[in-house]
Amino acid sequence: MKTMTHFAFFDEGSKKEIRRATLKAVAIPGYQVPFASREMPIARGWGTGGLQLTLSLIGKTDIVKVIDQGADESVNAVSIKKLVQQTTNVALTENTEAASLIQSRHRIPEVPLTKEQILVLQVPTPEPLRQVEASEYITKRLHAEDEYSGVWLLLFEQIMKYGKTATGADHPVYVNGRYVMAPSPIPRFDNQKLHYSEALILLGAGREKKIYAVPPYTDVNSLAFEDYPFTVESFADHTCYLCGADDVFLDELIDETSGKSYYQCNDTSYCVDRLNSLKEKEAAPTHA
Amino acid sequence: MAIDQVHDLQQVYRKILYSMSRPGDISILREQAEQVDYQLPCYDATLLSAMALLDGEVSFHLISEKQQQVGGKISEYTLAKQAPADKADYIIVLQDATELSILQAIYQCKIGDLIDPQNSSTWIIETPKLSNTAELKLMGPGIKNEVKLFTGIYTKAWQARKERINEYPLGIDLIITDAQAHIVCIPRTTTVEITGVE
Repeated sequence: MKTMTHFAFFDEGSKKEIRRATLKAVAIPGYQVPFASREMPIARGWGTGGLQLTLSLIGKTDIVKVIDQGADESVNAVSIKKLVQQTTNVALTENTEAASLIQSRHRIPEVPLTKEQILVLQVPTPEPLRQVEASEYITKRLHAEDEYSGVWLLLFEQIMKYGKTATGADHPVYVNGRYVMAPSPIPRFDNQKLHYSEALILLGAGREKKIYAVPPYTDVNSLAFEDYPFTVESFADHTCYLCGADDVFLDELIDETSGKSYYQCNDTSYCVDRLNSLKEKEAAPTHA
Repeated sequence: MAIDQVHDLQQVYRKILYSMSRPGDISILREQAEQVDYQLPCYDATLLSAMALLDGEVSFHLISEKQQQVGGKISEYTLAKQAPADKADYIIVLQDATELSILQAIYQCKIGDLIDPQNSSTWIIETPKLSNTAELKLMGPGIKNEVKLFTGIYTKAWQARKERINEYPLGIDLIITDAQAHIVCIPRTTTVEITGVE
């Protein structure tokens, strides 16, 4: 016997609770609003925060895209997509432009988002001060007092040690000039996409039970020092070996036989789109 | 037709979320308002907003002469409890509310504290007609440059709101509804400048 689940898995009470927290998060950009975080059919730490946001938002007419580190086809993305689809029967897509709801782990798509879209990011560690302060009781007070020396010191120590800020991903940002926020482990390359974004960006941390948001047209500045300005990952002199893109976030891969490294677009659907349009251009003259 | 608790209210929520993230952007709840078959002396958009957000976990305070009729019904439909203005999570202001009662509630209501700014009240306020013409100039997160808005809400209420949001992140968030099932939201981050009617 197959039991039917309620639309979007949750009961309406759970959805309402998440919705109320989300509205508060939008009203206080960058502030982590606590929420109840339900038990999900996937383990905490595997995108349950994002999934709960998606399920609280989703309606019959939505078109959903789920990505994991830029890929539509990786395990995490596929299992979340299946759960959403089987409990709501909504349409799925890999095309960024066609999606109305995009749930993502650790990337913001290369294609600019629009007013009609909502981006949901999965967050493992929502607290930017966690590395300097283990106690939630204290970090809440540090946020209340706008006391962010800890996180500045963290960046300063990296400069002392490595000569530059060495955050691989999750480089902290100041939102609307008030809250320091962990943008989820997106590469620094994506931090600039948060600033004055067209789309609403919601961030959900299921294990840590926090929801926060970056509304559209909001100031989001990556933390940096005057003499050590914020820099993004550089892919100068490298292009995608498949589609030739040179202005996107690239993955470095190693050719096992020659030992040489080569590069590929991290956003797979962007790469496939480019390949298809290149192919069309090539094919076009043959019809003439 | 009755309101579909799952799908209609999901649509209502998405529109509130859209307007909350884009202050001054008016959303239309006409399709959902057509499903409302309750004969209550409040706007359909007010009832829909309350039904989308309220449940047994939260409390509300109603400012109106029609306490019994509307307050009792909202309680029955949503299971939310009524509470005094200084304790309520939601404050619902109907069209017949007096300026004095609104001002009193603005000064009394919850605005959160610095540790938990989310423990503040959200207002659902009725006004006859919303439009994007001058009266107010809005600026802040969610607004590209600035946006004009006409609400017809008492000037003194805007001044009182300004006093209450002065200590950002403390403050109140507003959902304004009108008779044509329009809604517009003004979160605490929005700077409201009174420019006067054109």
